[in-house]
Amino acid sequence: MKNLAILTLIFLPLVCFGELFLEITKGSEDPFKVAIISFEGNSAVSKKLNKVIRNDLKRTGEFSLLDQSLLLPLIVEDDEINYRDWNLLGMDYLVAGNIVQTNNSIDVNYEIYDIHKKKKIRSSKVFGLPNQLRQLAHYTSDGIYESIAGIKGIASTKLLYVNDVKSKNLNSRYRLMLADSDGANEQTLLSSSEPIISPAWSPDGKKVAYVSFETGMAKVYIQNIATGKRDSVISKNTQISSPSWSPDGKYLSLTLYQDGNAEIYILRLRDKVLTRMTNQFAIDTESTWSPKGNKILFTSGRSGSPQIYELDLRRLNAKAKRLSFEGSYNAKASYLPNEEGIIFVHRSSDGLFHIAMKYKKENFIRILTEAKMDESPSVAPNGNMVIYGITEGDQSMLAGFSLSGASFKLPASQGEVREPAWSNFLR
Amino acid sequence: MKKSLNTVFASTALIIFTACSSLQVTEESVSNQAVAGVMVSPKSQATQAVLANAVIYFEYDKFTLTSKSIQALKGVVTLMRKNPKIMLSLEGHADERGTREYNLALGQRRSESVANYLIANGIKRNQLSVKSFGEERPLSLGSNDSAWSKNRRVEIK
Repeated sequence: MKNLAILTLIFLPLVCFGELFLEITKGSEDPFKVAIISFEGNSAVSKKLNKVIRNDLKRTGEFSLLDQSLLLPLIVEDDEINYRDWNLLGMDYLVAGNIVQTNNSIDVNYEIYDIHKKKKIRSSKVFGLPNQLRQLAHYTSDGIYESIAGIKGIASTKLLYVNDVKSKNLNSRYRLMLADSDGANEQTLLSSSEPIISPAWSPDGKKVAYVSFETGMAKVYIQNIATGKRDSVISKNTQISSPSWSPDGKYLSLTLYQDGNAEIYILRLRDKVLTRMTNQFAIDTESTWSPKGNKILFTSGRSGSPQIYELDLRRLNAKAKRLSFEGSYNAKASYLPNEEGIIFVHRSSDGLFHIAMKYKKENFIRILTEAKMDESPSVAPNGNMVIYGITEGDQSMLAGFSLSGASFKLPASQGEVREPAWSNFLR
Repeated sequence: MKKSLNTVFASTALIIFTACSSLQVTEESVSNQAVAGVMVSPKSQATQAVLANAVIYFEYDKFTLTSKSIQALKGVVTLMRKNPKIMLSLEGHADERGTREYNLALGQRRSESVANYLIANGIKRNQLSVKSFGEERPLSLGSNDSAWSKNRRVEIK
């Protein structure tokens, strides 16, 4: 807290600095074929809502949507659905809905029909304030996704990332940003003239942890998103970095430099008790928790090059197990949501950095990206999408892909963006 | 039932699964999270008169001192012996390749290498402030060997 005393805290107005621009570059080869009949209602509202829903579904890569211009807007009644006609059009599903707007609320009602089984599979209502139109659209597309793909959608989740805007004299303005999963509704959580790295979500989505260099030294802070209240997590005169929240929200794993070298510790947030987890002459950092909270992954230089290790937290004095063996640089790993594998940064033999994945059941790695300096992969909570940082020309931006083959880019409205972190499910 | 985040509606999200075999019926209110942004204004660091100023460079992925670096450090040792009261700041840096957190740790190893040499030559640990900025403060922008070699460094101030 001593560090905070010298800082001026100013609450910023909720200014939108512009949005990341979403661009879908590729889609899956075997998508669900879905006809969405434009949701009728007030035309401006309807147009925006339909556009957001369609973009959400396209971005998953798992949907091929019937061109809207081929469809006449029509009111769909359950007993009037001509399943045979939709089948002839090659559709698997039909989605129809309407928007009911009053002065201070918008209701979105929608129905989903399975063309092959010839029956209605979902009837839903989502309601909110007129200024929550994008959220209404995201909830709706998540409902559609869940009914058709069979797993929860992530359109209503959020992203954290770091924005770095350089002025003419090359001074940077660093911002920790919060945005919807499609890059819209961008808001500033922290603005500083010193670097900000390693943003991490609390499991309930209410807080963020990150590393800020505002005191001239790397320190980890926890900030409440709604109130802006923030605290340095440990008041030690040492560098602290790489925060990761345990799935139950009670612990933070961290890298501390008090031993003259990067070592991993676990901090119990309730009483600030620190437990040292690694004791090595080499670098140990970038810890992340397993979905069940019983293991951590981390990067260690103990073999002579950065490699990924796993530590079992249930066993006393457990020995870390090396998980990566291909190549001389594997780092910043995290588990897939069902622990079926890990995703990490891999340097290939040509010296370029890519995002790679290794499934538990396989004894080889899969290289998933093809730019030259791909970094910081973060997996969506449903495990079907990954967002990461790329550099194109000399511009850093975010890119993503779905495991079913779609890829997309989120170029920044200004400056560079990097270090994305995907939230948990928030609805 | 799930509780919404700071929802403007007093109601909580309500999800109903009907008993009917496969028709899912739901009703849900949208929640909006309140956001408060914060601006921090770092206090400018107190500057001391520059007595020892040197930059020590490193090989890619390495934190060992080269013979050229040791020549430069000998000068620093001489100066420190003459001025035993000054404090030195050793700031380690890395080039942009590799992950940010690993580079932060690598920068720290580089400044520790410099610190260890100075301590081995009679400088006291409490005269040294050892830290890292990882790849966050490049001296030279650009993604090429020339820029990278300038950025893998420890700045002695």
